[in-house]
Amino acid sequence: MPDATQLDRTYHYILETFVACGQAPHYTEIASKFSVTPDEGKRMLLDLTAAGLPIWLHPDTDLIASFGPFNNLPTQYRVTVDGAQKWFAQCGLESLAISWLFPGKTVEIDAPCLCCGDMLHVAMRDGVIEREEPAGLCLYFNVPYRKWRDNLPFA
Amino acid sequence: MNLFRSKEHARNWSQFDAGTEDGIISLQDGASIMSTPRHRDRLSGHYVSSASESAPIYFENIRKVTNNSPFWTPRTV
Repeated sequence: MPDATQLDRTYHYILETFVACGQAPHYTEIASKFSVTPDEGKRMLLDLTAAGLPIWLHPDTDLIASFGPFNNLPTQYRVTVDGAQKWFAQCGLESLAISWLFPGKTVEIDAPCLCCGDMLHVAMRDGVIEREEPAGLCLYFNVPYRKWRDNLPFA
Repeated sequence: MNLFRSKEHARNWSQFDAGTEDGIISLQDGASIMSTPRHRDRLSGHYVSSASESAPIYFENIRKVTNNSPFWTPRTV
């Protein structure tokens, strides 16, 4: 059983790297951060992905594909902070959690409607919706919540 | 888990499932679901080890925001 404190540290390092850079570190960078061998860095990453969080690797690799609320592969959810579009949200719902990671800053979310293709815009600060364009935006989930973990990337 | 221009656009989406009407929620409700410590405190430094404490608060909030809809019942219940 992995030590919970190391899981916390691994999680925190990956998330703070995402916040700063817009992308996840490779496991060798995790290894460097904690002064361990590359294989031990990979083990830290794999332990974290097994912890039941919305985190997954690209299939058949040791590369982070998604790390809620962010995605390491481009999605339709483009996120801009301080005029820089460096981030992609994991999904529409997680896009609404990103402002918690940038305290005091306005987080802009731009995404197309999957029905009509028109661009949608949401601005949030510290969890509060400052603006939505056009008005009346909604979220849709076609998988019941209890089944999300059956296939998180699909859900 | 996608954003749509309106509820009508969600219903008109090619992948809309008629049995999942309760899967449509307002943007404000989505923001409310993502407002508990489970999503607010990700940079706390002890996020993973506190997951067992934050999960019940998150689940209770989902029930409240979605009016106890069976669509939103967590697997743990």
